Amino acid sequence: MSEPILSVESLSVSYGRVEAVRDVSFSVPEGGMVALVGANGAGKSSVLAAVSGLMRPGKGTVRLDGRDITRWPAHRRVGAGLVLVPEGRQILGTLTVAENLALGAHRRRAQAVPAGELYELFPVLAERRDLPAGALSGGEQQMLAIARAMISRPRVVLMDEPSMGLAPKMVDEVFGVIDKIRASDVTVVLVEQNARRALRTADTGHVLETGAIAHSGPASELLKDPKVVQAYLGVE
Amino acid sequence: MLQQLANGVFSGSIYALFAIGFTLVFGILRHLNLAHAAIFTTGAFLGIEIATRTGIPFWALLPVVAGIGAVAGVVLERIAFRPLAGRDDEHFAGLISSVAFGGVLIALIQARYGTEPKSFPYEYFPNRLFEVAGLRVTLTQLVTLGLALALMLGLAWLVSATPLGRAMRAVAENPTAARVVGVNVDRVTAGTYALSSGLGTVAGALLALNIGQTDRGLGASIELIGFAVIILGGLGSLWGAMAAGIVLGLAEALTIHYFDSTWKGLVPFALLFAVLILRPRGLFGHIKVREV
Ligand SMILES: Nc1ncnc2c1ncn2[C@@H]1O[C@H](COP(=O)(O)OP(=O)(O)O)[C@@H](O)[C@H]1O
Ligand SMILES: [Mg+2]
Repeated sequence: MSEPILSVESLSVSYGRVEAVRDVSFSVPEGGMVALVGANGAGKSSVLAAVSGLMRPGKGTVRLDGRDITRWPAHRRVGAGLVLVPEGRQILGTLTVAENLALGAHRRRAQAVPAGELYELFPVLAERRDLPAGALSGGEQQMLAIARAMISRPRVVLMDEPSMGLAPKMVDEVFGVIDKIRASDVTVVLVEQNARRALRTADTGHVLETGAIAHSGPASELLKDPKVVQAYLGVE
Repeated sequence: MLQQLANGVFSGSIYALFAIGFTLVFGILRHLNLAHAAIFTTGAFLGIEIATRTGIPFWALLPVVAGIGAVAGVVLERIAFRPLAGRDDEHFAGLISSVAFGGVLIALIQARYGTEPKSFPYEYFPNRLFEVAGLRVTLTQLVTLGLALALMLGLAWLVSATPLGRAMRAVAENPTAARVVGVNVDRVTAGTYALSSGLGTVAGALLALNIGQTDRGLGASIELIGFAVIILGGLGSLWGAMAAGIVLGLAEALTIHYFDSTWKGLVPFALLFAVLILRPRGLFGHIKVREV
């Protein structure tokens, strides 16, 4: 197999003295999709913070195309095509929808998807483009957060609980968009509380338990692993 | 009476120009930069020194002063604010370290220029007087007012309609979200200080040009009224600072007209308190920089 586009080696992340992530390693081949699942507080968001450059890891290495990017600032990673759809959406509510999208594109102007094309994929956003993003519903804001990442034509997308707090119909829409992203050969790292659904979409899964990887494997096998099912998936 | 009002508008435009630089930094970064008055004073001395040494014309002088001011602003942020980022007492500590930075600037000014006032070269700026509808205004006043308005409108445009302004508003609202979308927050922070201090030095040079001279107390003399302008306009509001600058300039002028200049220090502050009792968030408190 070719070299992974993203790899994380022995990553540790701390908040003061609290070590939230301990010795986590995984990698994603180009165009592949990894799901990171685990209970609340297991360290999933902290892993993504270190990969996206929002936090400096205490130990370990993050590689993009084999290049060590552990010390790169976040904006440089965005420029290289590694973008985060953060937990809680983090849209800029006082800026308009169009301004949020323009910000998403500004580091990769050469590659960026033309706004018109993007609005075709996200018609709700087209209607609301001149509204403050804070006026959007939760589901629309999540769509904006995803669109804001996709407009830069990223190579790797990190998604942190994109279905959190959404109505079932919106959850379906969000997973629909994730399927489209996969189909376009973009590499995806998906963190989800909806572990079963995430594992059904992904190729590979890693289960985090109090900061460390407890189970790893092909997603289809994790879905059948009795220990994983009992602890994280429950009976359907 | 009308003459006094006109004078009030002229000095008000300088108050406003002082205030927008200060309020910009607060609006975007939540920093109270108490070195702003010293930056303003620095601009006045720089203007006079460069005019005296090189004789370059006024229209070329201001960009040079602004450029040096911008660099000083970047240095100020690096020294007085950036090292404190992430501390629990970041904001209070920044307040103190900016006071210290201002003190250092004033001490450097004294070391370089001494304690005597410094003047622009004789007839550096054409000393022309116009009479319009019975009002007597000098060319200096007209140019000052025009420049102050242009700079303020230019800043408002920059914040609301350019990529840098968009990034500034993103940082103002949520620095983490700004980083997520790839905004270089350090660079935007430096840019905000460069703009603020560039405007501050230009304001100082303009006031010195109007008075004809400066001393190291120039910034201190405008500082209090400048802060009154900022509070009256609503901290962080550019339009508020502009309007409040003119309002306080007028209030001061009317005070001189109806009482005498000994009351000039009192009335603007009395007005400030009166407005704050009626509108605690200032005249324009609801319009913040990020909504310009
Ligand atoms: N800003 C923070 N300060 C201190 N501790 C934190 C902070 N963010 C997260 N933690 C701690 O780190 C651990 C992992 O959190 P997180 O990465 O958010 O987990 P997850 O995303 O899996 O829910 C938790 O114990 C949490 O309490
Ligand atoms: Mg999380």
